[in-house]
Amino acid sequence: MEILTGIIDNYYYMVAIILFVIGMYTMLTHANMIKKVIAMNIMDTSVFLLFVAIGYTHGAQAPIIKEGADIIYVNPLPGALMLTGIVVAVSVTAYALSLVVKIYRFYETCDYDEICEIRSLE
Amino acid sequence: MPLSRRTERRGGGTAIEDQIVRITSRLVAPFIQVYGIYVILHGHLSPGGSFSGGAIFGASLVLVALSFNLETGAKQISHQLASGLESGGAFGFILTGLIAIAIGGNFLANRAAGFPMGQAGELFSAGAILIITVFVGIKVASTIVTLFYTIIEGEE
Amino acid sequence: MGIADHFPALIVVVLFAAAFLSPLLYRYAEKISAPFVIASLLLSLLMSIALLVQVQQFGPVFYHMGGWPPPWGIEFSADPIRVYILIVVTAVSLWIFLYALRDLKHELKKEVIGWYYTLYSILVGSMAGIALTNDLFNLFVLMEICAISACAIISIKEDRECLEASFKYLILSAMGTGCFLLGVAMIYMATGYLNYSFIQAALAEAIVHYPLNIFTAAALFIVAFGTKAALFPLHVWLPDAHASAPTPSSAMLSGLVIKIYAFALFLMFYHVFPRGMLTTIPLNEIILWMAALGTMFGSVYAMIQTDLKKMLAFSSIGQISYIFMGIGFHHDLALVGAFYHIMVHAITKALLFMTAGVIIYSTGVRKISDLAGIGRILPLTMLAFTIGSASMVGIPGTGGLISKWYLALSALEIGRPLFVLVILASSLLNAIYYMPIVINAFMHQEDFIHEVRPVPRYMLASLIVGMFFVIVTGFFSRPVVTLLEQAAILLF
Repeated sequence: MEILTGIIDNYYYMVAIILFVIGMYTMLTHANMIKKVIAMNIMDTSVFLLFVAIGYTHGAQAPIIKEGADIIYVNPLPGALMLTGIVVAVSVTAYALSLVVKIYRFYETCDYDEICEIRSLE
Repeated sequence: MPLSRRTERRGGGTAIEDQIVRITSRLVAPFIQVYGIYVILHGHLSPGGSFSGGAIFGASLVLVALSFNLETGAKQISHQLASGLESGGAFGFILTGLIAIAIGGNFLANRAAGFPMGQAGELFSAGAILIITVFVGIKVASTIVTLFYTIIEGEE
Repeated sequence: MGIADHFPALIVVVLFAAAFLSPLLYRYAEKISAPFVIASLLLSLLMSIALLVQVQQFGPVFYHMGGWPPPWGIEFSADPIRVYILIVVTAVSLWIFLYALRDLKHELKKEVIGWYYTLYSILVGSMAGIALTNDLFNLFVLMEICAISACAIISIKEDRECLEASFKYLILSAMGTGCFLLGVAMIYMATGYLNYSFIQAALAEAIVHYPLNIFTAAALFIVAFGTKAALFPLHVWLPDAHASAPTPSSAMLSGLVIKIYAFALFLMFYHVFPRGMLTTIPLNEIILWMAALGTMFGSVYAMIQTDLKKMLAFSSIGQISYIFMGIGFHHDLALVGAFYHIMVHAITKALLFMTAGVIIYSTGVRKISDLAGIGRILPLTMLAFTIGSASMVGIPGTGGLISKWYLALSALEIGRPLFVLVILASSLLNAIYYMPIVINAFMHQEDFIHEVRPVPRYMLASLIVGMFFVIVTGFFSRPVVTLLEQAAILLF
């Protein structure tokens, strides 16, 4: 019961973990290379969600400091970090997609199983 | 040797031949660019900044190249210039950090090194951050253009 | 403040600056672009050595980026072990670059060589950053930079094998960084810090309240760094990537890149997780057994290869396992062995890949069975191969013996004689696949049948440098070992 309430209270963490596992599973098992890249993004995004969820405080304001006022602010650090993370994910995605384009030019397919078949026939 | 059957697509022959798209994008592009510059310059004052602004600016250049053809796009900014700017933008970032060392702070120090702070909320404030934002904006915009060209021209 | 105070940042910055300028230089002043990169590598090597002197005299150095103190700012820290890794990285990459200058001309298209310099400098810079940084998120960013540039120096050759291998590498290393970032999130959730020192202090208390978070983070870190460093069951990307890449890239990837991740795992274990944690949960045991299997299977896989570079790549899986074994023993002598092995294997494996590159350049032969009799045609190259394989096996007089000696010694000290047997057996397995090549190359009766191009002097000079250092690490290990012993004893 304790675990169950723990899960219900922290459902946003659970969503992030489920997304992470979906991404990882797709990335490792699907043969289509574009799907692998998409799954990589899902995986990264889930961690970004988790990070942003950590920084969230209920009822708090955006962290723009007003002199003298006694306000609770949300933690700005996870947001800033995840912006960096998103940039990194974008560059990895761009590089991965350009690799897929190049591989496609050799094999006329994005499917890794088909590529293995073509290679085994040679 | 590539097995590709699609080599005849070279030279931007597949660009959209549509007047509506062309006129619209020609009209809209300058506004997008101004907006991109606005977002870059106000990075230290409002949401957004070098990455978002640079991406907006780069997207406008890609839009023109897509709706016309590669030659028209290259008239705006050539592949060579874009990759040159890319190196230059990144190097400018490092240079700003090194200037901070030269005037007596740590690497990338801002106020601690003595960059003028200005009045909070004005455009020319926050010292080195504005300089860095501009350099990173240039870098991001040119990177997006370079990526576009690299993927399009890849076969050469 | 003198300029020497800024060395921790400047070492990384110089390399990145060189990376951004070299494509411009290559386009407009091709002649000076390569000397420029050499100068920057040399400069960062000299600064690393100066930093070592500084650290030994005045104790650990902390550098705050932008003058922001931790936990807000990014902190670089330099202690003897980190600076030692830094020197290994910069020195070996300088040496490989000298070899690459000549080798790249026949392996790559002329237009992309400038970009190769960029990627190379970024790779070295990011590895130096990984060795120095004291901040988890900074480590994540540097790891991604390292992964992209490492994939890119494979795929820059643009043939089918390279593209596929680097895609596979990219996907698996993206999985690694994804796991790492999730682990960082777990730790951030429990402590609210990203700085190693602050985390270590905060975790000592937080581990009581949030044990699951911390254990999950530890497991995720093992998967992340294990994937990136090719720890045994997670090594699947390595053989293709390292075998198909251009020779300098193979030397770089096998010599340095996989090791820097093993070092990062060491940093996690000894600088992030609290002291007592490694003894309460059997993390070390898991790594130890994976490493023990890795030494065996790496060698067994290497034995059945027919391609020379692929054999060397599989041998790397066996050798990286020694380093993980050293981390897993949780003993100061074992750490000395592991760190000594980082240096020895970086030099040796780079030397072996270079000889493979010279053989491919000169004769075009890649198959092991075709190498028979090559010793009489390329005597110096095969001598280098012989010395390299002797060090891999651990024959006295080479560096390979010293690290294995320390590993075996510590296995006895902690009362695990089984692992001495593992080390011995894997050495024998190494001998089984390295020695026949050497014997065949020199003793084979028939003449070598393939056409032979003369080997450029540049390449031979780098081979001689490599041989020299393999021997030096075998005979004059005392100063380095003393340095490592002093540093390792502080960790327990």
